[in-house]
Amino acid sequence: MYAGIDAGASATKAVIVDKESQIISYAIVPSGINFKVSSKEVLRKVLTSSSLSLEDIAYTVSTGYGRALVNANATSSEITCISRGVHKLFPSVRTIIDVGGQDSKAIRIDENGRVLDFVMNDKCAAGTGRFLEVMSNILGKPIEELSRLHFKASKPIKISSTCTVFAESEVISHISQGSEITDAIAGLHEAIAERIYTMSSRIGFEKDVALTGGVAKNKGFVDALSKKIGLTLTLPKEPQIVCAFGAALAAIKKRMEVVS
Amino acid sequence: MSSQREKRRGLQATRKIGELIMAHFSKAWDVKAQGKPVAWITVFTPVELLYAMDVYPVAPEHFGAMCSARGFIMEFLEEAEKSGYSQSLCSYSRCGLGYAISGMKGLMPPPDFLVTFRNSCDVYVKWWQSLSMHLGTPLFVGEAPYVLAREDLDNYVLDYVVKQLEQLIKTAEEKFGLKFDMERLVSTVKLSDKASELWLETLKLRRIKPCPLGGRDSASDIFPLVVMQGTNEAVKFYEELLGEVKEKVDKREGIIENERFRLLFDGIWLWYAFDLIKYFEDRGAVFVYEPYSEAWACRLDASKPLESIARKILSMGLNVDIDLRIERFLESIKEFQVDGAVLFSNRSCKSWSAPQLVTADILSKEFNVPYLIFEADMADPRQYAEVQIKNRIDAFLEVLGER
Repeated sequence: MYAGIDAGASATKAVIVDKESQIISYAIVPSGINFKVSSKEVLRKVLTSSSLSLEDIAYTVSTGYGRALVNANATSSEITCISRGVHKLFPSVRTIIDVGGQDSKAIRIDENGRVLDFVMNDKCAAGTGRFLEVMSNILGKPIEELSRLHFKASKPIKISSTCTVFAESEVISHISQGSEITDAIAGLHEAIAERIYTMSSRIGFEKDVALTGGVAKNKGFVDALSKKIGLTLTLPKEPQIVCAFGAALAAIKKRMEVVS
Repeated sequence: MSSQREKRRGLQATRKIGELIMAHFSKAWDVKAQGKPVAWITVFTPVELLYAMDVYPVAPEHFGAMCSARGFIMEFLEEAEKSGYSQSLCSYSRCGLGYAISGMKGLMPPPDFLVTFRNSCDVYVKWWQSLSMHLGTPLFVGEAPYVLAREDLDNYVLDYVVKQLEQLIKTAEEKFGLKFDMERLVSTVKLSDKASELWLETLKLRRIKPCPLGGRDSASDIFPLVVMQGTNEAVKFYEELLGEVKEKVDKREGIIENERFRLLFDGIWLWYAFDLIKYFEDRGAVFVYEPYSEAWACRLDASKPLESIARKILSMGLNVDIDLRIERFLESIKEFQVDGAVLFSNRSCKSWSAPQLVTADILSKEFNVPYLIFEADMADPRQYAEVQIKNRIDAFLEVLGER
């Protein structure tokens, strides 16, 4: 068995695969502030759910923001892992958009899943999951609710500020002037979609286009982004674990290299 | 870690740079104490001309880079910001202004003259005017037009810059009572030319695999060419450096072991994050070419001193048409066997950063050279997101590794 651990800014994910690259089990835990703790916890969880023990794992690759702090045999960047994961699931995909807790990226891959080009957001959190977390707090709506409320909007608000902190006061002022919360939520989704569209446009949207990362679970955002790009997006069943899955695939490959 | 440390072999010559910098600044105070004038210059001001008038030049940009590298730039940035200068302004200019406002008690003595030559950098003139207002110091502004075609280096554009150099001498003699010495200019130009010749020859040796001189050396070793052109000290330094690099070439010794990737770096270095170069080197990537390292290297003809100085001011990389800039880029890709390009989009330097995407697209589409762009500031550490940048570097090197 092989494990991939993705220590992301907001969640730590683990995936176990067998040598045929089939997913045996996966787990997701909040990252908190200590990747050493969260990666141990996620590994414990994923092993328990598949009735495996640590000895059954031949090789582990860690990825994500906290990858260096995870106890693994090797590390790999998210760009490579996401590309590997998506290519395995959907060989026809040429463009991947990943929206995570702290960063968003767009990756162009070839027919073999090799990375041709990529772009990432800069230091700003405005096009990421963190932005939605901040806003869901302000609006007093749990993050899981955002999807449902999005589709009840009639007139999404326009958010012009590119800064999370300023966007926050913009939303507050809209609400205080009588805008509906649903319109604010749809407006926020559109704002993120707009930012990600702008960032990704540099590498283009060659079909098929896949969307991964935790924020891809938010159907409201998926709706806003596919409208903005003008394409149907390919979505994995569990978009949040694709990067960890790619890391597990990398573990198989690296183990082979070590053995040979 | 110890094995990684063994992998890096910084050059012996580079270790002398710190000493040279300190000597350069302390000499400025000595000169001042002897009652001779010190000029604050922007880095493309012809220092040869100043030396020929017995004026000692120091450069606030160089001072800013040094403050940033040594970790005390914040003091001056904050001083400027407290006075109302915006954080979006160039960090060198904020540092220089902050230093001036705070009373100039550090390495750089107060100026007797402010001299700038605007070529490529649009901030220079306003920055120097602001300094002049803050300090009440006389100001000379020269201006070089953009070079739109190669012919401009020989036609009326060149004449225009030569006239301004003559004007600078005239103003200095008539208004400030300085004495211009043609013989000294000729000897200074000869020394300046020699330093450039040696440096260019050294840079050429980086074409060899494994590369004998990396980014950490080139970023430091450029300094004598910036403000010490025309001095014996600079020539002596570059002779030693070339000797050492030649020795490495003879021994087939690279600056790092196991050279995996040869990279081009476009931009000014991140002075506070020199470790970033080491981060690349630890992963088998070595910088073999930077336009920055060539910026001050220009051969001069001592029989036509003013004309060659004018040509040098004009031909600085950022002052020429983008096609000429791209041409040089592409030549270097072949000459230096470059595997990938790292482009640093510098918040402070718009004239450097603005055309980068155009260049990058040509690199990738026409020449299949992958590139990485990241954003930060050359001197202000607050604009630097270390984890995100290193994350991108990792991904970029993985992409190169898979090719």
